[in-house]
Amino acid sequence: MTMEYLEKYRDGRHKCWKDLWIVRPIWTATKLLIRTTVHRPVTVLYPYEALWNPDNYRGRPGLDFNKCVGCGMCARMCPCAAIILVETPDDEGNPVMRPQINMGRCSFCAYCAEYCPLDAMTVTPIVELAEYTRADLIYGPRRLAYEHTTEGMKVILEETLLSDYNSGNGEKRVSPFKVDRPELDGNKCISCKKCAKACPVDAIKMVEHGVNAKGRPILWPEINDETCICCSNCVDDCPKDALHIKEVL
Amino acid sequence: MAQNECQIPDTIAIAQGAEVTKEMVDQYNAQSGQMDMDKMWIIMGPQHPFSHGLWTLKICADGEIVTDADPIVGYLHRGWEKEAENRTYPKIIPMADRLCYAASMTYTHLFCMTCEKALGIEVPEKAKYIRIVADEINRLQSHLMWLAAVGTDLGNYTAFLWASREREYWMDMNIRLCGARLTTNYPRIGGVRNDVFDESTRFLRDLYRCCDHFDKSIWELINLIDNNSTFTSRMIGNGIISRERCANLGITGPAARGTGIDYDIRRDDPYDNYDKVDFEVPVLTTGDSYARYMVRMEEMIQSVKIIRQAAKKIEALGEKAPYRLKVPSKIPAGRTFCKLEDPRGESMMYLVSDGSDQPYRLKVRSPIFVNVSSSKDLLEGCRIADVPVIMAMIDMCLGETDR
Repeated sequence: MTMEYLEKYRDGRHKCWKDLWIVRPIWTATKLLIRTTVHRPVTVLYPYEALWNPDNYRGRPGLDFNKCVGCGMCARMCPCAAIILVETPDDEGNPVMRPQINMGRCSFCAYCAEYCPLDAMTVTPIVELAEYTRADLIYGPRRLAYEHTTEGMKVILEETLLSDYNSGNGEKRVSPFKVDRPELDGNKCISCKKCAKACPVDAIKMVEHGVNAKGRPILWPEINDETCICCSNCVDDCPKDALHIKEVL
Repeated sequence: MAQNECQIPDTIAIAQGAEVTKEMVDQYNAQSGQMDMDKMWIIMGPQHPFSHGLWTLKICADGEIVTDADPIVGYLHRGWEKEAENRTYPKIIPMADRLCYAASMTYTHLFCMTCEKALGIEVPEKAKYIRIVADEINRLQSHLMWLAAVGTDLGNYTAFLWASREREYWMDMNIRLCGARLTTNYPRIGGVRNDVFDESTRFLRDLYRCCDHFDKSIWELINLIDNNSTFTSRMIGNGIISRERCANLGITGPAARGTGIDYDIRRDDPYDNYDKVDFEVPVLTTGDSYARYMVRMEEMIQSVKIIRQAAKKIEALGEKAPYRLKVPSKIPAGRTFCKLEDPRGESMMYLVSDGSDQPYRLKVRSPIFVNVSSSKDLLEGCRIADVPVIMAMIDMCLGETDR
């Protein structure tokens, strides 16, 4: 390894006799003139033509309305608190919870797309977001839809488990939403069924575990490993902190 | 201040023909000397065209010579460190991007490195090399932006345009890598956000092309500035600071390497496989503005070499190698200190964790806050016209200074 520039210029190039008075600068300028005339310009006429951007370009988030289950992972992970869940009628008219984004607060970090367990939220290349009023900056669930979603716009969260990596099985990648599961501390549970109501994918079923001292049935949540997406809504809604996410490492 | 009040001679009486005694003149001279009447404080304030960012430089000028300087920062204080205490660890990563708009990748990298050190996790090889590539792209675009700023400070608008043009290629590389130009949000605790082997972006192919292009175009920039005595004569021999003084003031980065301090964390305390790539650390001993300029230009050439080597290593590791580890959301209680070579100097982070998923305290040491506080030593004795050139060689960035 050598330092090309410093070795050539250590004593100051401007003193060198090889500059050949004004011949060398004129030659350099002529070369540049020819090159810049032949080549196309580096700038583009922006409103009439736009630069090409790859699919992973992080513009405003886009939402697949029917794929989304309203788990609120995007609202939980948003560093700017730009996302809230609002009640919206779906295609059949039933009220469902879906994210609404205030683009005036958005920082374009794409955490909503990255941490979406179902990849319903994607990034889109839309960057022209200027509006006349602040109310127009609020994107409802239907307005977030983007028609031309490709595979490259999905931000897929794939991680290697530490145990796999240490045991030399590093090529295996898992999604954290498929391995992490809520775990119940039975002593704290009061059978209130709040977790079952909070679950967006109906993965929690209340199962009877005997009777208590008063003769009433003790109901404990049973989590379906197949359908659970690890959104931790049940953990947040539990009034007695009986549930916690068990992280698989 | 009664002591400093100057008794102004009775000018009306003198004009009408009163005698001016020698005592009056001596008294006036003595008192005006106490008041520093011949010195003038000039405020090169937040709106002065030389200041890149919101900061004030008060310089005391004796005629044309600068005798004292007082930098005032704090206009951009956002309470970053306090805000970080109310967030979970992954949510601090996009905030670390906003510490410095030109060095977003290194600050995010530093935060992730600190968390990994606290967790006791070693990131995969591929993630380390990807981080090296990302850091060096960041260093290149930061130095090119500095060069553009120096160009305008020296009155060389062509250098501004050419450096901005070259910088766009590296910004495009950032888009290929992570989808954003400046606020990259790319490193993660335990690895990096996404893999580089993506068919739709073709990052590695474009990276090699970009390196080949830059190898040629850097010489255009060098020829533009170094062969032109109008610009070199403004840099050579001004803002000289000695090696010992530089070390005592805590100046780091290219500014320190320009004075002869042979220290670079990438080589002397390597992090993230920097010990497995081959590169030189440029060091000059003259300690003037031109030395700082030359060190940065050489660093850019070395960065391209590092990028090429690291990209080859990534290709050799292949698509299937792990790039991101699953890490626990809670960091065990303890104190962690981590440092890294920023484009501007040494940035450090000190994390006090209390076992929860939020930091108890996160302290950032920014290189520019220390470098700018040495402006009195740098500017003493120079002329007012040289102030923009000398301060430009510090490469100001107020986002990290005020935090």
